[in-house]
Amino acid sequence: MTDSIVATDITHGFENGAILEDVSLGVEPGEILAVVGPSGTGKTTLFRLLAMFDRPDSGVIEFDGDDVWSMSDARRLEVRRRIGMGFQNRSLFSASVADNVAYGLRVRRSWKTRVASAVSGLLGPADYDEAVTAALETVGMADKASRDAGSLSAGEAQRVAIARALAPDPDVLLLDEPTSNLDPRNTAVIEAAMRAARDRGIAVALATHDMQQARRVSDRTAVLLDGTCIESGATDRVFESPTDDRVRQFVEGKLVY
Amino acid sequence: MFGLGDLNLTYLVSITLVSLYVSTAAVLVSATLGLPMALAVSFRDFRGKAVVTSIISTGMGFPSVVVGLLVLLALSRSGPLGEFELLFTPEAMILSQTVLALPVLVSVALSAIQSVPQDLRDAAFASGGTSTDVALLVVREARYGIVTALLAAYGRAISEVGSVLIVGGNIVFSDGTSFTRTLTTAITVEARKGNIETGIALGGILLALVLAVNALGARFRDRTPSGGRR
Repeated sequence: MTDSIVATDITHGFENGAILEDVSLGVEPGEILAVVGPSGTGKTTLFRLLAMFDRPDSGVIEFDGDDVWSMSDARRLEVRRRIGMGFQNRSLFSASVADNVAYGLRVRRSWKTRVASAVSGLLGPADYDEAVTAALETVGMADKASRDAGSLSAGEAQRVAIARALAPDPDVLLLDEPTSNLDPRNTAVIEAAMRAARDRGIAVALATHDMQQARRVSDRTAVLLDGTCIESGATDRVFESPTDDRVRQFVEGKLVY
Repeated sequence: MFGLGDLNLTYLVSITLVSLYVSTAAVLVSATLGLPMALAVSFRDFRGKAVVTSIISTGMGFPSVVVGLLVLLALSRSGPLGEFELLFTPEAMILSQTVLALPVLVSVALSAIQSVPQDLRDAAFASGGTSTDVALLVVREARYGIVTALLAAYGRAISEVGSVLIVGGNIVFSDGTSFTRTLTTAITVEARKGNIETGIALGGILLALVLAVNALGARFRDRTPSGGRR
């Protein structure tokens, strides 16, 4: 099977030394790839490059075989719209839960439709897409669709943020530390949503510093240390017989950051 | 009533209308120019950005008589805008009030826009938003601050005396209706004549207008709670 999104030989960083150096990895449809490593090792930078926030200093990012930085802006926007992303920090807009989840669907519509629905929204409550309800159901938040996003707990907000990423039915889901600082129950809901996304054929990439989480949910694991990918492979193999000594220490909890 | 003396209703209404027309037009022009400026300064990184920002905040404290003098020079027959023959018209007053209100509006709007967390801009982009979508989202998130900016600009415009006196000329037609006399400049006239009570009554009207505009702004803010639909 071909990879949905592939990064090859990515080097990126600021003048005072690269944050990422020659990193290569890819995610296939219907799998969860965990990118593990301590904080500050370049996971967020890598995910932002995959989401096309920035162009890498060198290296290639391909989506379904096409170099995303060689294509036209319009085509790149289309590709971006096949990728959903969840962030570590609270990132909900000050609007209702349903409006947050509908955001990605709304920006994909024509301006004419958007203006028309904004006007009808002033006249009465808007009807939401089935996709919004379905995405909220995935994270168990459908009953809170009309709540103000600002009134949610951190865990609920993160679940809604993941529903927002899922609502436009992306081919790739990038999740950057989605469960750091969350309690076990919310973490479990989010991990279940990741598995459900994988089972729907979505390519899921998860950045986490939690080795146990990577082991629980991922099919493949890539270990990032100081901006380089020091090991990657099937999750069971990486955890049971790592080839890199630092990974072994990391897995055994002897190397702590 | 209230010792209004020789004030008649036509005169009162006409100076109030001139005040409202000039200030509202100045705020509309300021908003049309200022909101895109605030967005541009906030979104773009360019050399001298800090200088531009500090010029804008300096503009907030710009003495209105100096602005009046500069606008007078610009509009005078030999000035760069002399050919439009705007001096001593309401439009000249709109111009000088715009110069005064614009920095207030841009400055307050800019700080509101800049206080929208980067995380939200990132989320809008990652949700498939174009740069226009991200800008619209930021404006929406900063809407309370932007309303405050409009109110502050309105307050600066409507309570202004010095520059409108210089470029407007404080003119009243022979039938007793105002051409370029505003509530504020009328107060200076009454005070000079010793009609303190009339001046205070006009001041009351001015205050009531400012309060009404602020109440309108507050109503807008209350009507669009953070959970409001777009």
